[in-house]
Amino acid sequence: MTRRLIVYPAMVLICVASLFPFFWMIVTSLKPDTEIFTVSPQFIPHEPILSRYTELFSGAIPRQFLNSLLVAGVTTVVTGLIALLAGYALARFNVPMKRYLLIVILSIQMLPQTVLVIPLFVVLRNTDLLGTYQGLVLSHLALTVGLATYMLRSFFMDIPVSLEESAMVDGASRMKAVRLVVFPLVWPGLAASSIYGFITSWNELMFSATYMQQSSRETLPVALQQFFSSYYSDWGGVMAASVIFTIPVVVFFLLVQKRLMQGMVAGAVKG
Amino acid sequence: MTSTTTGRAGHSVAPARAGLRWDRFALPSLLLAPLLAVILGVVGYPIVRTVWLSFHEGEYLMTGAFNGVDNYTEIFGDPYFLAALLRTTVFAVVCVVTTLLISLAIALVLDAGSWAARIVTVVVLLPWAMPRVASGIIWKWMFNDQYGIANWLLVSLGFDSFRGYAWFNDGFASLVAITIAVVWHSVPFIAISMLAGLRATRGEVLEAARVDGAGFYQQLIRVRLPMMKPLLTILGVMSTIFAYQSFDHFLVMTTPPGGPSHSTEVLSLLTWLQAFTVLDQGVAAAMAVVTFVLLAGITAVYVRLSKEGA
Repeated sequence: MTRRLIVYPAMVLICVASLFPFFWMIVTSLKPDTEIFTVSPQFIPHEPILSRYTELFSGAIPRQFLNSLLVAGVTTVVTGLIALLAGYALARFNVPMKRYLLIVILSIQMLPQTVLVIPLFVVLRNTDLLGTYQGLVLSHLALTVGLATYMLRSFFMDIPVSLEESAMVDGASRMKAVRLVVFPLVWPGLAASSIYGFITSWNELMFSATYMQQSSRETLPVALQQFFSSYYSDWGGVMAASVIFTIPVVVFFLLVQKRLMQGMVAGAVKG
Repeated sequence: MTSTTTGRAGHSVAPARAGLRWDRFALPSLLLAPLLAVILGVVGYPIVRTVWLSFHEGEYLMTGAFNGVDNYTEIFGDPYFLAALLRTTVFAVVCVVTTLLISLAIALVLDAGSWAARIVTVVVLLPWAMPRVASGIIWKWMFNDQYGIANWLLVSLGFDSFRGYAWFNDGFASLVAITIAVVWHSVPFIAISMLAGLRATRGEVLEAARVDGAGFYQQLIRVRLPMMKPLLTILGVMSTIFAYQSFDHFLVMTTPPGGPSHSTEVLSLLTWLQAFTVLDQGVAAAMAVVTFVLLAGITAVYVRLSKEGA
C-alpha cells in the first residue's frame, strides 16, 4: 500500500515532466498573441486560432518539409540497405578482424561531429556536392550506419542459424534461404534501425546548417533555427513551426517505439 | 577410364571449393563493402584530414602552408578556448550525474510495475524523439523572463526573486536552463536502458536477499546496483560523450551563439564558429582534434570497462 502511495504520484510526475513541453508547444501555437503574453499562463486557449499554421503553409515551410523528407528518406533507405548486408555478414561469418571492426562501428557513434564537419565541407566543395541533397545524405550516413549495423547484427544473431541451414540442406541457395527464411524474421529489426536513421537525419542540425546554404534546399532544422533567430519575439509562429517539425518523428516513433528501444538498448547493453 | 574418374572427381570438387571460398570470403566481403566504403570515405578520411589540417594554416577555409603545432599553441594560449574546455567538462559532469540519478529514479518507479508502467514507459521515451532544435526553442520559451512558465512556477512557489528573471542575460543562469533542456532530452534513453538492467537483476540472488530480510534500499544498494555495474559504466560514459557533443541546444538557446559575451561557449559550438564564422579551419581542426582525443580517451575507458564487466 505504501509502495502504491509513492509509485502512482511518481508516475504522474514523470508523465507531466515528459509531456508538458509538448503540451505547451501545441497550446502556445494555437493561442492568439493576447493570450500568449500574459503574466499568469493560460493553460487552455480561449479563442484557439489556426492562422499561424495556414501562414506557415503558404510560406517556405512545405518546401523545407519536403527537403527534409527527401534527405531523411534517402538516408533511411541507404542506411537500411548497408546495415542489412553488413549486419548479416557480421552475424553469420567469421570475418577476419571482426572484433576490431565491431569496435570501430561502435566508436563511430562516439565521434564528435566537429571532427567530420570541416573535412566533409572540403570534400563536398571539391566534388561539387556542397549544397546538394546527395552531399547531405552522404554526411548523414556517417552518423547512422554504425549503430544501424550493430542493431541489425543483434537482430540477425537472435535468429537461429539452423533455420537457414535446413533451408539450404533442402536445396535452397544461401540467397534464397536468406530471402525466404531470414528476411521475414528480421524485418522488424530493419524497421527499427531505419526509424533510427530517419530520426537522426531528420533532426540533424550541424551538417545541414553548414552544407545547405541555399534557401530553397534548406532542411527543417536549419529553417527553424534561422526563423527563430530572426523572428525572435513571434513565439506563436515559432511554436507552430516546431509542431510541424516534431509531428513526423513522434508519429514514426510511436509506431515502432518498442522494437526501436529493444534494438538501441541491445546496442548499449551488449556493446 | 581413369582420366574420366579424375575428371569427374575434379569436376565435383571444384565447385564445392569455389562455393566454400565464395561463402567464406567473397560473400562476406561483398556484403561488408558498402559499410566499409562509408566508414572509410565519410568517417576515416575526414578524421585523417582533420588531423592533417590541424598542422596547417587554414584561413578562409583554404588549406595553407604547414605550420607545425602553431594552431595548438594558439588554442592552448587562448583563454576563450580554455574556458570552453573547462565549461564543457563541468557541464558534461553535471549533465551526466543529473541524468543518471533521474533515470535511476524513473527506472525504479517503472520497475515497481503495474498496469500503468507500460504506458508510462512510452511516455518517458517521447522526449527522445523530439528534435533537439525544437526542444531548445520550447525550453527557451518556458524560461522566458516575462511570460515564461518557469518563472511563473517559481514565483508561485514563493521564490519572489524570479519575477521577470532574465535567465539568458547571464552565463551561469543560461547554462542552468540549457542543462535542464539537455537532461530532459537525454534521460529517456538512459532511463529505459536502466529499466532493462534492473529487470535483469531479478532472480535468485535478489530473492535470496529478500528472504534474508534485506529492505528495498539494501536490495538496491547492496545487490542490484553492483550487479548493474557494467551497464551503469557504459551508460555513464555514453551520456558523458553525448553531453560533450551538445551543439543544437547551445546554438538555439544562446544569443549570439555562445553569448552573452562568450559565457556559454562549449567545445563543439566554439569549433564550429571558428571554422565557419571566423573561417579559420586550421585552428578549428586543432580544436576538433583535442575534443576527439578527449572523447577517444573516454571511449577507451568504455571499451575496457565493458570488457571487464563481461
